[in-house]
Amino acid sequence: MEKKVNLKIDEREIVVDEGTTILDAAQQNGIRIPTLCHHPCLSNWGGCRLCVVEADGAPRLVASCVMPVREGMGVVTSNDRIIEARRTILEFMFAERNHYCMFCAQSGDCELQSLAYEMQMDHLTVSSSYQAFPVDITSEYMAIDHNRCVLCGRCIRGCQEIAGAYVLNFQNRGPDSLIGLDLNEERGESTCYSCGVCMQVCPTGAIYNRYRTHYAVKGHTKDWETVDSFCPQCGLLCPTLHFVKDNNLLKIEGKLSLNGGSPDLGQLCYKGRFEPFKTIGTRLLQPRVRRKDGTWAEETWQNALDLVAEKLGTIRDTYSGKAIFGLASSRCSNEELVLFRDIMSGGWASGYIDTLDGDHMRTISRAMEDVGKTFKEASWKSILESDFILAVGADPYKSQPLISSLIHRCVMEKGVKLAIIGKTDFMRPWTSLYLSPRNGKEPLFIKALLEEVIASAKESSREVERADVPGLLKGEGLNWEDRGTFYDMVRIFAKSYNPIIIAGEALTGTDDPSGLIPLIKLALFKGLLPENTLRLIILKPEGNSAGAWRLGLSSRKGINGKDKWRGGLMLLGGEETLSSDLPDRFSGLDFLGVMSPYFPETLADKAHVIIPKPLWIEEDGTYTSLDGIEFSYREKVLNPPEGVKGSWQTMVALADRTKFRPDFKTWKELRKKVEKEMELGPFLMY
Amino acid sequence: MGKPKVATVWLEGCAGCHMSFLDLDEGLLDILSAVDLTVTPITDFKNFDFQEVTVGIIEGGIGNEEQVEIAEKLRKSCKILIAWGDCAVFGGINTLRNWIPKDEVLRYGYIETESTVEGAIPMHEDIPPLLDKVLPVNGVVPVDVYVPGCPPSTEAIAYSLTEILQGRIPVLPTEMMHFD
Repeated sequence: MEKKVNLKIDEREIVVDEGTTILDAAQQNGIRIPTLCHHPCLSNWGGCRLCVVEADGAPRLVASCVMPVREGMGVVTSNDRIIEARRTILEFMFAERNHYCMFCAQSGDCELQSLAYEMQMDHLTVSSSYQAFPVDITSEYMAIDHNRCVLCGRCIRGCQEIAGAYVLNFQNRGPDSLIGLDLNEERGESTCYSCGVCMQVCPTGAIYNRYRTHYAVKGHTKDWETVDSFCPQCGLLCPTLHFVKDNNLLKIEGKLSLNGGSPDLGQLCYKGRFEPFKTIGTRLLQPRVRRKDGTWAEETWQNALDLVAEKLGTIRDTYSGKAIFGLASSRCSNEELVLFRDIMSGGWASGYIDTLDGDHMRTISRAMEDVGKTFKEASWKSILESDFILAVGADPYKSQPLISSLIHRCVMEKGVKLAIIGKTDFMRPWTSLYLSPRNGKEPLFIKALLEEVIASAKESSREVERADVPGLLKGEGLNWEDRGTFYDMVRIFAKSYNPIIIAGEALTGTDDPSGLIPLIKLALFKGLLPENTLRLIILKPEGNSAGAWRLGLSSRKGINGKDKWRGGLMLLGGEETLSSDLPDRFSGLDFLGVMSPYFPETLADKAHVIIPKPLWIEEDGTYTSLDGIEFSYREKVLNPPEGVKGSWQTMVALADRTKFRPDFKTWKELRKKVEKEMELGPFLMY
Repeated sequence: MGKPKVATVWLEGCAGCHMSFLDLDEGLLDILSAVDLTVTPITDFKNFDFQEVTVGIIEGGIGNEEQVEIAEKLRKSCKILIAWGDCAVFGGINTLRNWIPKDEVLRYGYIETESTVEGAIPMHEDIPPLLDKVLPVNGVVPVDVYVPGCPPSTEAIAYSLTEILQGRIPVLPTEMMHFD
């Protein structure tokens, strides 16, 4: 048991664990001490001195955030002298740099400002310095305005302790001190991965979101609404807090936790923190119909839905349901997908329903079938327990950015070796073993790796030579260095106890599972993780790919070739841009209906009717995790713009125009149906 | 005893604080019946002979020599001086030029801006010279009451005036404080 310490804070008898700081002791007992450089999820710093208190009547005030309690200590947290000291410190901070709130983008969301309000600092008694500092706007996502910085160092601690990125640090001395990136780089040129933890913990407007409109916050934080949610954009389902005022999104924060909690410590990534602020096209507020002259005209919901039902009905009656296609984005929630699936098949006897990323899922499924058993895929969380990471044909920084930062943390903090086969820009600097095959040649390397790993296991005394080129790789033009790298990969993989393999788009994006099969075998070679789990993480293209596959949205067979489609097609779009060959395949259709939040520019001359739909942030729904193991429900954060009907309303209205009656009458019943269908487990199981 | 006299001036600011004062709407009637508004930009009164007033109010920062003179004159004429708004309290948006040398500011503003053709820095004995830096009012004369905000809310303006009329020197409570 921890030793206890008795002390008095503001004449109150308090018992806390030995080693507790005065600040923590006060906070545990509901006594407020103002702080600035202190953050509950970061290490103690003691830099700003705003938390000063009187301890044992000592002549000098002490910083309560770093001072441990002592037996019998007497602490006073507030008296005229302390208030005077705190206010003076605050005034100095305001006077030192540019802290003029009326032209700061962060006004209203600023701890420095809130402290000034709290201490009723209604003017300065010292004059300001007006020393100019640089402003760095080289990053798409965040600006750093050093003029707004109070040098509390929270961003540095966040970057190290939460993100594990080690990009930020102090630079220069005295009044010229700055927060520097790498070796004095600008943000855009630095190794920063734009996770935004620094921005989240920054107490002022020194680091701010460039996608949030200037002056969006303003006023006091009491007017905010907080929505506890998670991010469905890549399948990692990171918990988030959304802050909203008057149906405007103010900020998205990760749920920070230094110890325990999620292994990502609440970090988030550029997608989770910034993408929802982006407007990626013309938002649709009213259905549109393409006129004979090719121009688009707004139409009433009634007429637009009538037109969709009529066109699809005519095509079905003329050519049968085989000429009706349904295509959905795997960014949609499980509920949207089931609605779409049931209405397309029930309403128009659709002969073919698929997702935009169906190819990937079919390749993964064929590879698993070939291996013959049903395995679970490893969770992304297992990266942090690994002692060797092999990424093949994967670019997690693009698909699942948090994974790339977890890999970075393993490399930096635990000295884990990272091996990459494939193309990568972002992870290259921290990759120990890097091989870059020519396009589409990754499978050869995996097969060779598997062969050599097995061979070296059989003959433990086998000495591999650089001069040897494994048979499979002859003709691949491996130079001296590549051969060394290749054999290092073999050796380190063979010796590792707990390796994890990450497979990505370059392997799943082709119809050919010949790269994935040996990779699964390679993973099996090191034995399974508990619960029949492979040492393999397969990155999926979209946030709900696993859910869409499980619900049977992705066709099991697929359509071979790149022929043009004939008949009628409904496209349920997410927020993505379509792959380049798709619009071309749509050009032979008799009817193309699209449901999308944005006007689909690439389909402007192909589609016939466009029905608006809310963004994911504007609708309730469940999403399935990358590995198909978890399944979560999130409520909408914002209301859709006026006039935009929810997917539920639109699709039920479409069903009403057919003879089809779905087996769910309410949203609640639909949710139950989804829950029933979504048996969790290895999602590639049939 | 007559009603207390109030004079207000608009120095280097945007008139937003006076607008916020007018935004008191019907609340204005209560205040106007309790005081005698003498010199104020609301009446477009340009004679800065303040006589003796109880309350002097300054909106705006101090950016040139004329403004220094007016501030000093008002300080001498009033018993209680209020700084209205962020410009008067901190220097405000005008301080954007404080990071740039004065000559450069003038040159850029009058000669180098993209829309200027054959520009020249205006010089005349009637034009008051700029100070090196824009100052808050308390950088020139002592201030008794500060009402920050850009502009200060009508509640803050009403609160501070009412408090003064009842004989107290107010400090804005936390919930009325805002710098934006």
